[in-house]
Amino acid sequence: MRTGLKAAIAALGLFAMTTAASASEWTPPGPVKLMIAFAAGGGADTQARLIAEELEARTGWSFIPEEATGKGGLTMLASLKDQPADGTVIGMAVTEALGYNMRSADMGLTPSDFTGLTTTAGFQMGIVARADKGWTTFSDAVAAAKSDGALRFGVMSPKLDDIAYLLGRAQGIDLNIVSLKGGKEVLDAIVAGDVDLGFVAGIQSKGVAAGDLVNLASGLSAPLAQTPEAPTLADLGVTPFNADGYFVFVAPAGVPQDARDALARAIAEIVNDETTKAGGLVKKAFGGATTIMGAELDALMAADYESAAALMEAASQ
Amino acid sequence: MGMLDHAWLGVLAVFQGPAAFSLFSLPISFTLLLVFAGFVLGIVVGATPGLAGPMAMAISLPVLISIFGYSSDALLPVMGFLIGVMKGATIGGAVPAILFNTPGTPDAFMTTLDGHPMARAGKAGKALRVAHFSSVTGDTFSDIVLVLCAPFLALLVEAYLDLPEKTALLILSLSFIAAVVGGSPGKGLISTGLGLLAVYVGSGEDFYPRLSMGTETLSRGFSVTTAVLGVLILGAVFEGMQETFHDHRRQPGATTHALTGDQVLRFADIRRLLPYIGQSAVIGTLIGALPGIGSTLAATLGYTLGRTRHQKHQPAGAPGFGDGVPEGVAATEAANSAVSGANLIPVLSLGIPGNAAAVFLILAADSIGGFTPGPSVFRVPSEGINPELVVAFGLFTAMFLANALNWTLGGLFMRSMGVMTRAPKHILLPIVLLLTLTAIYVQEPRMEAILFALAFGFLGYFMRKAGISPLPFVIAFILGGTLEQTARQAFAATGGDPFFLFASPIAAFFMLAAVAVIVFTARKPVT
Amino acid sequence: MSGYPKGNVLIGCSVIAFALITLLVWIPSDTATGIVETVRRRTVIGDAMAPSLAALFLLVGGLLLLTAERRAASQPLPSREAVVFALQIALILVVSLLLMRWTGPLAAALAGEEYRLLRDSYPWKLAGFILGGTVMVAALLVLAEQRLSLRVLVIALAAVIVLVAIYDLPFDDLLLPPNGDV
Repeated sequence: MRTGLKAAIAALGLFAMTTAASASEWTPPGPVKLMIAFAAGGGADTQARLIAEELEARTGWSFIPEEATGKGGLTMLASLKDQPADGTVIGMAVTEALGYNMRSADMGLTPSDFTGLTTTAGFQMGIVARADKGWTTFSDAVAAAKSDGALRFGVMSPKLDDIAYLLGRAQGIDLNIVSLKGGKEVLDAIVAGDVDLGFVAGIQSKGVAAGDLVNLASGLSAPLAQTPEAPTLADLGVTPFNADGYFVFVAPAGVPQDARDALARAIAEIVNDETTKAGGLVKKAFGGATTIMGAELDALMAADYESAAALMEAASQ
Repeated sequence: MGMLDHAWLGVLAVFQGPAAFSLFSLPISFTLLLVFAGFVLGIVVGATPGLAGPMAMAISLPVLISIFGYSSDALLPVMGFLIGVMKGATIGGAVPAILFNTPGTPDAFMTTLDGHPMARAGKAGKALRVAHFSSVTGDTFSDIVLVLCAPFLALLVEAYLDLPEKTALLILSLSFIAAVVGGSPGKGLISTGLGLLAVYVGSGEDFYPRLSMGTETLSRGFSVTTAVLGVLILGAVFEGMQETFHDHRRQPGATTHALTGDQVLRFADIRRLLPYIGQSAVIGTLIGALPGIGSTLAATLGYTLGRTRHQKHQPAGAPGFGDGVPEGVAATEAANSAVSGANLIPVLSLGIPGNAAAVFLILAADSIGGFTPGPSVFRVPSEGINPELVVAFGLFTAMFLANALNWTLGGLFMRSMGVMTRAPKHILLPIVLLLTLTAIYVQEPRMEAILFALAFGFLGYFMRKAGISPLPFVIAFILGGTLEQTARQAFAATGGDPFFLFASPIAAFFMLAAVAVIVFTARKPVT
Repeated sequence: MSGYPKGNVLIGCSVIAFALITLLVWIPSDTATGIVETVRRRTVIGDAMAPSLAALFLLVGGLLLLTAERRAASQPLPSREAVVFALQIALILVVSLLLMRWTGPLAAALAGEEYRLLRDSYPWKLAGFILGGTVMVAALLVLAEQRLSLRVLVIALAAVIVLVAIYDLPFDDLLLPPNGDV
């Protein structure tokens, strides 16, 4: 009923301006399955569900969110690959899943098996420690490692594991790298004292603002928005690698151009609009939306996949 | 913000959360409403032989999650409901035990020994009142101990246990549960081993899904829902079907006994019963705080110690335990009810579940997200609030709310549940089966989930038939992932020390205790 | 026959055999990394470690049944009736789940439609669940009562309709079987 009414209104609107761009004419032929590569209840899962909710409200399309977690996003991607490429199945993951993880897993998947729709937000990846350690910048941590021996370094993915290893090597210090299951776990481990420092992708901002935590360095190619004076990985001698990453919506390869445009545009509009719940969440957690789409996104995905090989090579030496 | 500020916020979160409706212009929050709804449902399923609290918890969970969504606002209403069910089922189980000599829940078995003779003697009303009073007293006592102990224990764990010690503690918990649940350490270890093996399928650090035999089907592993609901709920349903199907026509018509004489619980009665209730409440709480031992042993111990006390204080020739004395009902009910609150001590402070109800609370927290039971829950930040701590105190509030309901309305509900004991079990069970399968699919919408759950159900069925308790399986399944993660982290954090489990005195002690508990129980098998 | 039951010996031997196969054949051939492995000159725990621990639990449990608990007083085993009963319900479940999975897609195919695109619209989305669910409950009731009656069908259908009312009507996002698979 509701859907019918919306469709009728949409049809009227189209009738009124018959010269409108053709991209907005695309509607999915049936309900859209949204496969989410993140655990229920986390920030990423909430973001995906809020976007789906707002998409339903704005377009009248029906979305069915579904969890498909595991293997750093590859479980979702492997299952998405074989789904119909007509815009009725899309997925949300991080770019790292299509880059490092896909490359490293070597399970016959490549970024060309997928159509990138749009990114929604970039991580504010910092190297974080508890403030009461007394370190204010990364060189303090290096000094501590040189005088007291190995530091425990928390990471949440194999790519970050490699980067942390290169960081330790570049700085000539011993890091005992501890793999944890996500940013929240790394943060918990830092606070509990189970690790000395580690990569956290944005959720440290509240603690940093309160003075409980410090961003010792930026894990990105650019400085952190919150702590611009902290050195980047390049400053610390880890070149040319970085932990830049985004949340990204993808569909199977071969999705028609009009479907791709319509979906990407609809998602981007929502996350860019801070008055929506999804947009507000993105603003609060990541300082605003980053919507890379089209050819630029294709290039980003291809470059991530390529540089992963170089990173693995560098870390294995 | 200190601990007390968080406690106050937790209380407020329960009463001032999103309102469901207004009563006399007083907004009633969803949490309040759901604790009440869960409580009533709990009494009903507890009073129905063949149904049990965990079943109701398992089936309502997906419905509740769909109503409240995956946000931290959902935690209190959903978990409040489960707590209500847990509390309601505890008192509900005594109803059929007293009226018809059939325990509604396994731990109500000892209640039949004196409760039913009382009913036969026309004292059913009194027996139910004694059961209610003792049960609620034991439960409330246990909850108070929980609130006082859990934060303290959690802070101790945070302060003194590093990754290697946490790993060793998990191993100790698993071996303790294997040793004490079900009375056969050998079978307990088998159950634990199977649970661990199941959770390790398809998981792991490498991108190849281990133990998946190269198949797509196994590569995503088994979800907690399929394993827990399969082994625990479907296994029980299959077993119940097998037992009832063949003899449902021979079911004896339940006979009611006319009430005679005074049914009221007088103050003098209470004074006479209190020592028994107190003794049993302490026993139940102590046993509840240790994961895995469960309310059946608590009831047995409470009853046995109550009998000893009774023999000492009564003149020779007076009616003793087993002849229908209120003290017997009181000793049992106080003990088995006191388990439920204390059982949440290891859940909230360590993340280690000790019984089926605790398993479903963890499952709920896990499905909704935003609350990870474990020591980090009780961390007090120097500035701002720890939302998990607020939730924890919200849960405590919900428990006391359920207790208040129990004190005020519980007895009334309980005495009106006699009719539920006549529900035809052979019709209920197939419906519960379809309901459970649907609930599983709703949470994990793929046919494989149903097939896995059924396979786990048959595993649970045959395990029960072979005298192997399914509880260690479920607990191992829940703890297996954490165990592996913690071990990996401890190993990495110590720089690859192969003896990290023995490097510190605390860790070494835990490991030694893990072996000792098996050796000790195996040398003296509990029968 | 000596004077104690043989249940634990039987269970113990089967579990030990299973544990050994798991430990020596399954785990080595079906995990990508060993007990421990070296990554970037660091030794880390591999994917075979945790399953090996699980197998070890099984092994020790089986050995305990053969030694300390060999003469335990209570040693139940599944009876023949219990096994036959399990096979009966397994058969019922297989048939009803097949109906549940394929009724909708089959009906849609006959109507020249694609079920995947109809899985959110009535009455298609409920066809499989109602037929399969009713058959499942009714068949189990027939097994219990040993006779087919109209009453059984009515109970089964009513139960399925109540389930639809609980899960489907109030919630947009919940999928009843088999609508997540298509």
